[in-house]
Amino acid sequence: MPYIADCRITTHQEVAPEHYRLVVHAPQLAKEAQPGQFCMLQVREGHYPFLRRPMSIERIFADGVSFLYKVVGEGTRMLSGMSQGQMLNVQGPLGKPFPRESGFDRYIITAGGIGIAPFPALADALKRELGKAPEVIIAARTERFLLCEKDFRQMGCKVHFATDDGSAGEKAFASEVLKRLSPAAGTVVYACGPMPMMKATHAVCAAAGAVCYASLEAEMACGDGVCLGCVVEANVEVETERMVRVCKDGPVFDTQLIQWESY
Amino acid sequence: MGVNLQVNVGGLIMKNPVTVASGTFAYGQEYDQYFDIAQLGAVTVKSLSIQPRAGNRPPRLVETPAGMLNAIGLQNVGIDAYLRDKLPYLREKGCTIIGNIYGHAPEEYAELARRLEAENGADAIEANLSCPNVHDARTVRGGALVAQAPERVAEYTRAIKAATKLPVFVKLTPNIIDIVEPALAAQEAGADGVALINTLLGMGINPETRRPILRNIVGGLSGPAIRPVALKMVWDAAKHLRIPIIGMGGICSAADAMQFILAGATAVAVGSYSFRQPDAALRVIQGLEAYCQRHQVEDIRQLIGAMEA
Ligand SMILES: Cc1cc2nc3c(=O)[nH]c(=O)nc-3n(C[C@H](O)[C@H](O)[C@H](O)COP(=O)(O)OP(=O)(O)OC[C@H]3O[C@@H](n4cnc5c(N)ncnc54)[C@H](O)[C@@H]3O)c2cc1C
Ligand SMILES: Cc1cc2nc3c(=O)[nH]c(=O)nc-3n(C[C@H](O)[C@H](O)[C@H](O)COP(=O)(O)O)c2cc1C
Ligand code: FES
Repeated sequence: MPYIADCRITTHQEVAPEHYRLVVHAPQLAKEAQPGQFCMLQVREGHYPFLRRPMSIERIFADGVSFLYKVVGEGTRMLSGMSQGQMLNVQGPLGKPFPRESGFDRYIITAGGIGIAPFPALADALKRELGKAPEVIIAARTERFLLCEKDFRQMGCKVHFATDDGSAGEKAFASEVLKRLSPAAGTVVYACGPMPMMKATHAVCAAAGAVCYASLEAEMACGDGVCLGCVVEANVEVETERMVRVCKDGPVFDTQLIQWESY
Repeated sequence: MGVNLQVNVGGLIMKNPVTVASGTFAYGQEYDQYFDIAQLGAVTVKSLSIQPRAGNRPPRLVETPAGMLNAIGLQNVGIDAYLRDKLPYLREKGCTIIGNIYGHAPEEYAELARRLEAENGADAIEANLSCPNVHDARTVRGGALVAQAPERVAEYTRAIKAATKLPVFVKLTPNIIDIVEPALAAQEAGADGVALINTLLGMGINPETRRPILRNIVGGLSGPAIRPVALKMVWDAAKHLRIPIIGMGGICSAADAMQFILAGATAVAVGSYSFRQPDAALRVIQGLEAYCQRHQVEDIRQLIGAMEA
């Protein structure tokens, strides 16, 4: 069950230009959180910004969780100004986690840019619970935004890189790298990144008969299923509801459920 | 000192003057995770229509300075699913319920009110005559919203009053020159109260893509950004009405709520601020009690319309 608490920031560091890792002390949250879930962070007191900011849970520790985020606007800019020792108001854990089912031959993670954020926790859980260290495709604009490589390697994951400018790994999209890894029936792919990247990943998986779970993004007001602002259109042939809430029905969806034509 | 917070809103007894704004609290269950929602004076549910509605296509939400724009388009489960799946939870908790309804014609509102009364689905009716996010409501010209035309407000109010014995509140739009006209029309047609205000029309454009931010182009502005506008409308209406007012628009704290009560509201609703702080309405209740104690007011009703000019 989600809850709201002021949590002490225990670590806050820049891991790449404009990219930060923030760790909070939150034992109860850590106990309940599952990979793929997110929190709503109140970046400041007062009325500006008005809404909380959704952030994926990056790692789950014994006494807290971490977030990995990119500064894209004023809210994340304010967040980056908070320092170790300060209190951050956190609401969570929210949303549905990544399904972690045994019985697949291959587990592949595909991340575009800051879409890497929910995956260290997932890889860790897959390794511990199923004994499967997933293969990981990390894609970014350029080399210095390829994040979390060390974490994945420590877990025994095979890591593939893709960059837009060819500065590291293949000069290709994540979905192209995925295709060359030949996913098939019996493969499960976990994806997070920009909408076009997830759409392409879905297409590769659908063609190969692989299962694909994607963590989607949408602007959110409540983060907990109340406002109905965060919906995406569902594929009505699969889902009975025409609109599904990213915050409550997701953020992780079987990609067959989503109507990708709109993206 | 014991303080009386109970108010009577046109026949609806509320144990305190605080409810939540329709559409900002769903059907209660989600926020019951964060606090006991039975402590509210009333739970106002998301607008209900006869058929379920999928609402507008996304994106339908964007943050704005001290507020937000939404173009949800009244997505809701419909009256049948409400009565079957949502109502039992609220009744078991012992909540007082304001059933907010939306229809395409007076007959639909009447039908919804009748069903809510017959199946014990609400303790009062709030008729949403003012959602800016549906079909032809994009422009103020021509009175696309029922609440923009006083004679239509009267017609709809009469139809609903004829269908139910429950107290009927009429929810009006601020997208109008003079709020007093539709408010008086509602009163004369028999409304037991008015709810002020629904959202203000607004929009946003992404200058990079040159496209509207909301798929619907236009949406409704809510949050603290609209509070002074809402307060002024409540004050204007209160000067002319005999029936009570439920005031809303950007209320975040007990101090905000007090402004509406002093301007003439008998009850208040916390809206968008619950998205940020799910137990905001509870904090308002606690703050109102503390305010009364601090000012040695034994009965909050003494403060309704008590602004000192
Ligand atoms: C479930 C979920 C998990 C997320 N996890 C992460 C994460 O782990 N790391 C990370 O860096 N980012 C993540 N995001 C995106 C992040 O929430 C936005 O980048 C952030 O809200 C931007 O806020 P801002 O004030 O800096 O930007 P502004 O552009 O100033 O924001 C204005 C408004 O737009 C919203 N917004 C802007 N961009 C996005 C976006 N891409 N997605 C959703 N809302 C947006 C903001 O919440 C705010 O309401 C996640 C989004 C969702 C929905
Ligand atoms: C996301 C959202 C959905 C809403 N849905 C409804 C609705 O279904 N029916 C209705 O009468 N008003 C609806 N409203 C309007 C609110 O009930 C309220 O009148 C308005 O938001 C002003 O209050 P606030 O500034 O405190 O949010 C909605 C508002 C928001 C923000
Ligand atoms: S953010 Fe409010 S319903 Fe998803």
